[in-house]
Amino acid sequence: MEQQPRDLIPRTLLIVDDDEINRGILAHIFAGQYAIREAENGREGLQIIENAGASLCAVLLDVVMPEMDGLAVLRALQPTGALQRLPVFLITAEARDEVMREAYTLGVMDVISKPVVPYVVQRRVQSVVELFDARKRLSRTVEQQQSELVRRARQIVDLNMGMIEALSTAIEFRDGESGEHVRRIHDITALLLSRTAMGAGLSEEEIEQIALASIMHDVGKIAIPDAILNKPGRLTPEEYEIMKTHTLRGAELLASIPQLRDNQAYAYAYDIARHHHERWDGRGYPDGLKGEEISIWAQVVSLADVYDALSCKRVYKQAFDRDTVIRMICTGQCGAFNPKLLDSFLAVEPQLRCLYEQRG
Amino acid sequence: MDAARKARLQAGGIEVDSALERMMGSEALLERFLTKFLADPNYDRLCRAVADRDEAAALTAAHTLKGVCGNLSMTALFETLTAQVAEFRAGDWAAAAGRMPAVTRAYQQAARAIRGED
Repeated sequence: MEQQPRDLIPRTLLIVDDDEINRGILAHIFAGQYAIREAENGREGLQIIENAGASLCAVLLDVVMPEMDGLAVLRALQPTGALQRLPVFLITAEARDEVMREAYTLGVMDVISKPVVPYVVQRRVQSVVELFDARKRLSRTVEQQQSELVRRARQIVDLNMGMIEALSTAIEFRDGESGEHVRRIHDITALLLSRTAMGAGLSEEEIEQIALASIMHDVGKIAIPDAILNKPGRLTPEEYEIMKTHTLRGAELLASIPQLRDNQAYAYAYDIARHHHERWDGRGYPDGLKGEEISIWAQVVSLADVYDALSCKRVYKQAFDRDTVIRMICTGQCGAFNPKLLDSFLAVEPQLRCLYEQRG
Repeated sequence: MDAARKARLQAGGIEVDSALERMMGSEALLERFLTKFLADPNYDRLCRAVADRDEAAALTAAHTLKGVCGNLSMTALFETLTAQVAEFRAGDWAAAAGRMPAVTRAYQQAARAIRGED
């Protein structure tokens, strides 16, 4: 069995009895096993339990005592819940029915009659103390294991996140993007959902999943040839058709990873990869979804993607200034968006802008 | 403890082996408590309370003395006091008070034995 630090397991036995001979005999019986504390009456005993309860492994309590008798001590302890943590033994010369009944009802561990027989009282007390020790050790072990599990789960989540980011960033690199793009999409998505009405009804955890999923919106670009992906000029209609397939290819790619399918973020990731080029007016691709047929998260990532593309330099364009970006989005030059989404966007746009200013 | 001392205590109504067992075999502890028994005020309190017909004081003294006797394995005295305590509790004053001669006899016997008197 694993050795516990000694200070965590209480090792002091409290003897509460007004008779010095009784205390002396009990102290002598247990002197080899426990540290002993003595109290001459109930009030004194109760004070020790209240002040030093954590250091006590058991209490031997006399019934008939001046100041405060044993049952009164039990009545005072019962509402505090102390009797669940600390075994109390009633040591009594009169094991009368009404005394025993009340003592057991109040939560006493055992009733031992006086004059005591050493090996009996020793065995009965020791068994219970060992039981309480084992229980404490067990619950402490369970606690430790639980926090270890939580830590490992967090590690796995972090690792997943890191791998998803690495994969997405690697793909973005092909069209000359740095890791900043996926990170900003993540942040813009999270911000729009957590700070505006667009996120209504979504939990903090769901928003975190969606933001994670947003990172993977363009993974389908891995299937697009370099010549098209990095073409500086305008794409021909044929090339544009191929470019558009990155939505379907992305969704297919995500669907082909079994471990991802079990992930909570998967449904969001699939939907976002496939639908982040749909338009509110129904003229987007690949499925031509219209209005609220498009999920909130696909709409949000779509706007985040446009906002980030306009705000940065790309192979086919320069970065636009802030006012131009806002104007282009709001006048429908770069897609058609849900008016509610545009309102939310305008409300938090100053905060989004900070994501770009921090960069330098 | 020599055999004579032990025999004297036994004759005084003290079951020495049983008492020693309770002291985990410590003769020193037994002798210490036997000396304490002589100094214990509860026998005198009991006598006075019975004479004064102070029922509460009598019960308390009898109860406490009974505890001491039990620990020291003074079996006869312990049993008499046990019966007396029950009678005090039951409110049977006459019966309880009637036990005083037996209590005194057993108490004196034990006390003399502890003091080593013949």
